[in-house]
Amino acid sequence: MIPFDDILAGSGILFAVGTFGVLTRRNFILLLISVEIIMNTAILNFIAFSAYAPGPSILGVTGQAVAVVLVGLAATEVAVGLAIVLALNRVRGSVDVAKAMDLKL
Amino acid sequence: MTPETLLMAVLLGIAVVTALLALLAREVVHTIIWIGGFFVTLSAIYFVLYAAFLGVLQLAVYAGAVTILLLFAVMVIKKRIFVREAGAGVGPVPILLALALGAVLVALAAGVPGGTAYSAYDVTALSANLFTRNGAWLLLLGLVMLSALAGSIHLAREMRGAPSPPRGGVP
Repeated sequence: MIPFDDILAGSGILFAVGTFGVLTRRNFILLLISVEIIMNTAILNFIAFSAYAPGPSILGVTGQAVAVVLVGLAATEVAVGLAIVLALNRVRGSVDVAKAMDLKL
Repeated sequence: MTPETLLMAVLLGIAVVTALLALLAREVVHTIIWIGGFFVTLSAIYFVLYAAFLGVLQLAVYAGAVTILLLFAVMVIKKRIFVREAGAGVGPVPILLALALGAVLVALAAGVPGGTAYSAYDVTALSANLFTRNGAWLLLLGLVMLSALAGSIHLAREMRGAPSPPRGGVP
């Protein structure tokens, strides 16, 4: 039997790692990857809560249903983020976010 | 400690280590390799948590599609893909902030009451839930994906009359 708080603690540490990446990295691709780590932490939490939810099975899998939607949303976010990376690289010649401080292409 | 608990602890440890290595690697390609390992580890965690469908979805979407998409992006924007990033001077403030956040989240997790994992959930219940109770969210996701597709095409296309891109020396 896996202790529930172990999973939550692990996902909390992963969330902190993702936050560390967002705070320290200046490469846009690494920023995207950090945000992906944070999104995956949220998905892990939804699945963990779903696995430990009492009640009938159709309600118990609500967390997994939300996780399916979140996976699609995160993949969409990566696609848009990489389009921004390409546009930024074409206009600025770099993917350093410090060179895009004025928030326009 | 049961074998299941040990397996979960090992998997969570691998996930944290691969995520950290992905963020601390000096070459972007190495970052992508480590993040691929991170996604595969998370998929294994989902299997242990009786979410086999999500595990397969994680393998297909994240470990497969997103990793290759990131690799393609690096190949498109860099002349040489094995390029070391400039040394990132990480100050103490972000490290302390991340450590504090992690400590708070772990402390909060310790107060959550435990329970019994239910292994009876199957993909039939998931599809029934997804297409009946939460069908509206699925439709909304489709709309978001459509608008994101239009936005990505608009961003990625070559604009007429735009200044020519600077060549060479891309970090």
